[in-house]
Amino acid sequence: MLVIWRRAGESILVGEHIDVEVLEMRPHRVKLGIVAPQSVVIVRKETKLTRDENLSAALSMDADIVSDLLCLMSSDRRPN
Amino acid sequence: MSSIPTKFFGDVDFAPDSVFTFPSGLPGFEDEREFLFLNVPESDPVMFLQSVTMRNLCFVLLPILAVAPDFRLKLTPEESEALRLTAEREPALGSDVLCAALISAKSGEPLCANMMAPIVVNVNNRLGIQVIHPDSGYSHRHPITIGEPALAC
Repeated sequence: MLVIWRRAGESILVGEHIDVEVLEMRPHRVKLGIVAPQSVVIVRKETKLTRDENLSAALSMDADIVSDLLCLMSSDRRPN
Repeated sequence: MSSIPTKFFGDVDFAPDSVFTFPSGLPGFEDEREFLFLNVPESDPVMFLQSVTMRNLCFVLLPILAVAPDFRLKLTPEESEALRLTAEREPALGSDVLCAALISAKSGEPLCANMMAPIVVNVNNRLGIQVIHPDSGYSHRHPITIGEPALAC
């Protein structure tokens, strides 16, 4: 991970076409301005993680998942 | 009564007023707005979120407290508004709102729950959203371990 300190008004250039500027700093959050080509997808990390997990979850449904879950959830430790 | 064909539960009969509406769908499934919560008594506390329109789309859920008994739901004003919750007091988990985590199974990995982004539904108007709380301290891949089932979610 590249770690850089920036003040408000300062920028980082990523590759040839992406500019990330710190627009404003507040005690608990930072306002960022990102200039990038239309083809570059910019998304909050947690949104992408959630989307990926949802897709994975959608593919997870089958007969085994329920019995595996119930085995884990039950308070007696029965062998599978 | 209406009926929908489903991949995992066959034909499911339901009353139209048992449909839950997710106005923004779910991330990755933004067009899926209508769901049924199914539960099979023998599978308690596991619940299923079945799409009304896509027969193959069914999520497996666990009540949030069944995964982490000390979980506390903190909704932002925008989230409360999306659920049309009255703002007078903190919504009560288990009575005003239900909160559940989507479960994923990936081969070779333990079963995990997305505790960072649980599903929250308003019991009174049947609106639902998936809230995303990266600051909650919970992981989007929280491994499910042996434990006590909770009584409410």
